[in-house]
Amino acid sequence: MDYSRPRLVDRLGAEYVAGLLRGPARRRFEALLPAHPALRDAVRAWQDRLMPLTEVVAPQRPSPEVWASIERRIRGASTATRLSTAGRAEPVPRPGGWKGWRQLALWRGLSGLAGLATLGLAFMLANPAPTRAPIVVVLSAAAPAPGALPGASEGAVVPASFVASITADGRAMVTKPLVNVSLQADRSLELWSLPASGAPRSLGLIAADKASVVQQGKVLDGTDAFAVTLEAAGGSGDGKPHGPVLYVGKLTL
Amino acid sequence: MEIKPPMQTPKSEWSERSLTLSRLLARAGLGDLAAFAALYEQTSSHLLGVVLRIHRDRAHAEDILQEVYVNVWRAAQSFDAAQSQPLTWLTSIARNRAIDSLRRTSTQPRLQAHFSTSDQEDLDVYDTVASDAPGPLDLLSRASDARALAGCMAGLSAQQRQSVALAFFDGLSHAEVADSMRQPLGTVKSWVRRALLSLKGCLESAVQRDNGRGGPSGG
Repeated sequence: MDYSRPRLVDRLGAEYVAGLLRGPARRRFEALLPAHPALRDAVRAWQDRLMPLTEVVAPQRPSPEVWASIERRIRGASTATRLSTAGRAEPVPRPGGWKGWRQLALWRGLSGLAGLATLGLAFMLANPAPTRAPIVVVLSAAAPAPGALPGASEGAVVPASFVASITADGRAMVTKPLVNVSLQADRSLELWSLPASGAPRSLGLIAADKASVVQQGKVLDGTDAFAVTLEAAGGSGDGKPHGPVLYVGKLTL
Repeated sequence: MEIKPPMQTPKSEWSERSLTLSRLLARAGLGDLAAFAALYEQTSSHLLGVVLRIHRDRAHAEDILQEVYVNVWRAAQSFDAAQSQPLTWLTSIARNRAIDSLRRTSTQPRLQAHFSTSDQEDLDVYDTVASDAPGPLDLLSRASDARALAGCMAGLSAQQRQSVALAFFDGLSHAEVADSMRQPLGTVKSWVRRALLSLKGCLESAVQRDNGRGGPSGG
């Protein structure tokens, strides 16, 4: 099914929110949500339209046991556990303490990675294939890039790196900057597949400030590493990289 | 000061509660249990009402409610007041949970499910059958009174209104709506689809009118 068709997206969003998508169709739709912003937007818009209809449903006060159970359960899985994936529960939740914040940051980082894995998985669902885990490649700054940061002094470190998650069959790839890259308006970032020997192969342009979906067929074929170069706006015209290499990540299978 | 959510629905009490609930959710996201308790106090009756429309068995509905709030506590951090109204967000979570749970019990005949599973039968017959409860169509017409939906609802045919109401309020599937209205499945599907589409178009133009009146910032 082609989820880029706006009318289909809108209809599915409406049926999902109205409660009319059931069973496998519902599960499939939910699995696709993380990877398809258009679907999420449609769902949100329909929730905004339809949920206020419930305003007139007669409120029903729950019995006190309901809150007692909720409280028991969330206290049992204390705040500390919720914020840290390390798994060791700390008996005293300290939401204001700096330790809590540090754990929060860790939790956010990990959940970011988990989110990426989810994206990869969602694409595997969109492109039926044997279910194997997605491959994650971290691309780190290769060298100072004078063009990437306007006004940055020579030798300044570019404080950014990308994470790429690729479906195991190499049919789809999502790149995401871990920190926003400042990019001049007349430049573009281009993603390349680097073979062990031979010329790089362009995989297309990627966004500096948000996730990009790369669908170039065989992303993994002959790929030894991925690289991101800084090119003129619109990318390299002749299929060869011209700009400096900003980020590199080796593929390890 | 007022949060200005990018809402598509006309203004109502629904959005007036938003600011308070958004704050409570934000604090709950940071692990503030007292804020979460206040959020529960202010929203649980509404959510239980919504879940009870879909699951008439009160004990089951309360189990669902419990799951909903445990999930809300875990997900509170991801709530984004710029994107959604809190009550819309919460109601969506509750409805999703209720509908997902329907899937598991859907092999049981619907009417039997209303009467089953109770030790306290005398009491529960009233809780579960709720014969004086308004039907889904009553609810829809009340919803219409309450807001700019009035004109939009009036634009729907009687069958369209009924099919949407059964699906939305009572959680009936296309097939169940078709059964209950004694109509072919394909017919019901197209009623629902057209009803939702015309509702959308109508609400969008109502919002545009609202914005037009609200000032120059509308466009």
